[in-house]
Amino acid sequence: MKKTLEVMGMVCPFPLVEAKEAIKEIQTGDELEVQFDCTQGTESIPRWAAEAGHEVTAYEQLGEAAWTITIKKK
Amino acid sequence: MLQMILTGLLCGGLLGFVMQRGRFCLTGGFRDMYLAKDNRMFYALLIAIAIQSVGVYTLISLGVFEFSAGSLPIVAVIIGSFIFGIGIIFAGGCATGTWYRAGEGLIGSWIALAGYMLVAAMMKSGVLLPFDTAVKEIQVESNSIAVTLGLNNWILIAVLVAVVGFIVFRTLRKPTVKIPGLKPKKTGLAHILFEKRWHPFVTAILIGLIAILAWPLSVATGRIAGLGITTPSANILQYLVTGELSFINWGVFLVLGIFLGSLFAAKMSGEFRFRLPDLKTTINSFSGGLMMGFGAGLAGGCSIGNGLVMTAMMTWQGWISLGFMMLGTWTASYFVFVRPRKKTSQTAQAATA
Repeated sequence: MKKTLEVMGMVCPFPLVEAKEAIKEIQTGDELEVQFDCTQGTESIPRWAAEAGHEVTAYEQLGEAAWTITIKKK
Repeated sequence: MLQMILTGLLCGGLLGFVMQRGRFCLTGGFRDMYLAKDNRMFYALLIAIAIQSVGVYTLISLGVFEFSAGSLPIVAVIIGSFIFGIGIIFAGGCATGTWYRAGEGLIGSWIALAGYMLVAAMMKSGVLLPFDTAVKEIQVESNSIAVTLGLNNWILIAVLVAVVGFIVFRTLRKPTVKIPGLKPKKTGLAHILFEKRWHPFVTAILIGLIAILAWPLSVATGRIAGLGITTPSANILQYLVTGELSFINWGVFLVLGIFLGSLFAAKMSGEFRFRLPDLKTTINSFSGGLMMGFGAGLAGGCSIGNGLVMTAMMTWQGWISLGFMMLGTWTASYFVFVRPRKKTSQTAQAATA
């Protein structure tokens, strides 16, 4: 199962705050895709995922200042 | 004049570039000390302070320029820094952060900047000047930590360098998890400059060096100061509405340089796009900007002027300001991030019960 969180337009640190909330609602092994455009998120979201022990299964830049990251819940 | 324009834009450009690429965000750094118990950015700031301190006091010892700490307007520094700390949480970035995010195309930062410049100018030469002056009259004789303690500045600097060295050693020794990154699309220098994730400590070293460079460049144009954001930001507005050329100084080109340096860095890295905030963010940005202008005006500096420069100069103003600024960000973080979540989880529990 994959859940998509679209937080384009949200400024730092809200994309990360939202992602932390969203991952609580999914089951272990399920994936959360976060689409964001806050530059600082390129650092803070993967860092949080790695430190929390989740696996990043995809991470790509979609275009000018737009990114997507997929996190598999631990 | 030409020298002022060129060296100001150059120094600001370097700072804007390094901050954008290094994701150097003091607001986020202070906030995460409380929210995530993560002190990395605070340690990075201490590195930048220590480097600048050694560099600038070396220049002073060599007689390049003189520095006098003056007296300490203690009440203004405490209240101003606390309000500034609250403001940067609402605005989503400190004064410098707001300048460089404006360069990334964030319209919210343009709005925060407008509020910040407006109130800062009101404090410096507008309707709030009598208030500003009155609060600043409550002063303590000496602003220099060395003078108060009867020590040499170099002893204080040695202590700071030792503490920072210990923190860096301890932090770097800790095992780190590998942070997943984007697949590199560039190679060589382009990869390092426009793609690679910079370690916050590397960014901090560069910022410390730029902060040293700022002193002789600024002094050469008659402005005896280092990096500074608030007064120059106010000066831009003051100049625009009065046409008085006396408001133009090295600092004005420094802050314009930050904007241009960040714009260049963001463009080259594919990170520039005009981004419109929603209504709530817009209101937060503007009110945060107003608080920033008021707080930094009263405190006589922002997270750069007081937090990075006056700390390195070993003044009470710098370190007291830094402490209250952090308290302000933690207070605001509680109301903006912690309390709303507690409320929603309580309502959720009530609903399931």
